[in-house]
Amino acid sequence: MKPPFKPIAALLLTLLTAAQAQQPTPRTLIFLDPAHGGLDPGAHLPNNVLEKDLTLAFATRLRAQLSAAGFALLSTRDADPAVPFPTDQRAEIANHAHPAACLILHATSSGSGIHVITSSLSPNTLDDPHATIPWNTAQSASIPQSLALANEIGLALEHAKLPVILSRAAIRPLDNLICPAVAIEIAPLTPSDSDATPVSDTNYQQTVAKAITAALASWRSHLAAVGAQR
Amino acid sequence: MIPRYQRILFWSLAAACLLMVAFLLRGYGVARKRLGAPANDAPIAAPTTASTEDITLYLANDADASITPATESLSLPQDPAIRARTLLDHLLAAYARPNSAHPLQAGPAVDDVFLLPDPNPAPGEQPGQLAVINLSGGFVNNHPSGVQVEALTIQSIIGTLHAALPQVTTIRFLVGGQPHDTLAGHADLLHNYPATDTAAKPTPPTENQP
Repeated sequence: MKPPFKPIAALLLTLLTAAQAQQPTPRTLIFLDPAHGGLDPGAHLPNNVLEKDLTLAFATRLRAQLSAAGFALLSTRDADPAVPFPTDQRAEIANHAHPAACLILHATSSGSGIHVITSSLSPNTLDDPHATIPWNTAQSASIPQSLALANEIGLALEHAKLPVILSRAAIRPLDNLICPAVAIEIAPLTPSDSDATPVSDTNYQQTVAKAITAALASWRSHLAAVGAQR
Repeated sequence: MIPRYQRILFWSLAAACLLMVAFLLRGYGVARKRLGAPANDAPIAAPTTASTEDITLYLANDADASITPATESLSLPQDPAIRARTLLDHLLAAYARPNSAHPLQAGPAVDDVFLLPDPNPAPGEQPGQLAVINLSGGFVNNHPSGVQVEALTIQSIIGTLHAALPQVTTIRFLVGGQPHDTLAGHADLLHNYPATDTAAKPTPPTENQP
């Protein structure tokens, strides 16, 4: 008599499929870095607001929006650190976690609107997959993805009727990150036909946070589409 | 009865007082005459004529984050290092003018510029020069803080220097003679910047990017 291989195999396959269906889908991880903190106050903004406090407040708003949209979040700080928190340490946290996108949050009183900044490093195609990547130019391997992410955020901000400038600069920890990364700098709104809106305005921050969340949701679906093609 | 010696002393002191009053009045008159005289405009030394030349300043604009080349006539020294310093001082002084599109505080900005052989030339290219720009501490302390505003200052300096001294291939920054991590909290000053044409106008986001 033959052992019943076929029914056992079918049972195992059914059990495996059911187990896979019960596993939660891994959530897209977003890295947030509210810039400055501790002894480093950042820019001195109008009304005695410090950049380190504003970036933290904005990160809190953005985190709430992103959590509601189903993202997993990793933040460098959720309070003002008592000890110095160098940019290298922030980059190490991000590089260990391999997030889908890294956002460095800044604020300024110069210029107008939202500045979405990508690293000014030249793209490195990394022909040799075992090549060593120098720490100071780690971002060079992710420049095309970072530019695409900046474009995605820029489009979402434009759809939210916010003025946006896409530019490039050499800043830390942006140059040390290995994930698709942008720095988002919030500047006052200075429309010619009405009063200026300061960066500390909560409605302004909320609109920016919503637009960034929409951009990251779109970014997540692009990543899923690319993953499905592979 | 006043003794005779006291009378002599009194009249001697009175005479000395009168002499001093007369001396002071004369000194006052001379000083007044000298200060009131019109300035002497007569030419003493022959004027030196420095020939001007067309230079290109790469001017930053905070409103649209652009760097635009603009040509000006300026007389510059021939020594390349002093030439570079004079040029950068002129560039950064332009930002202190009223209605500047990239406002910076007036004052000395560049202490020195050193031109050295580039220790790390790009592979396959002629070895060029490394320009080390020593910014003044006051300029850095008063520079507005922000990623974009600081990056624009750096790009403006690089573009202007590249146009005037094409032999410069790499640019480094010092502040007060020492390496400094950032310009005003953001733009990386420990980075070696390639000397390139930095004229740029940011493009808006596009729908059809891959």
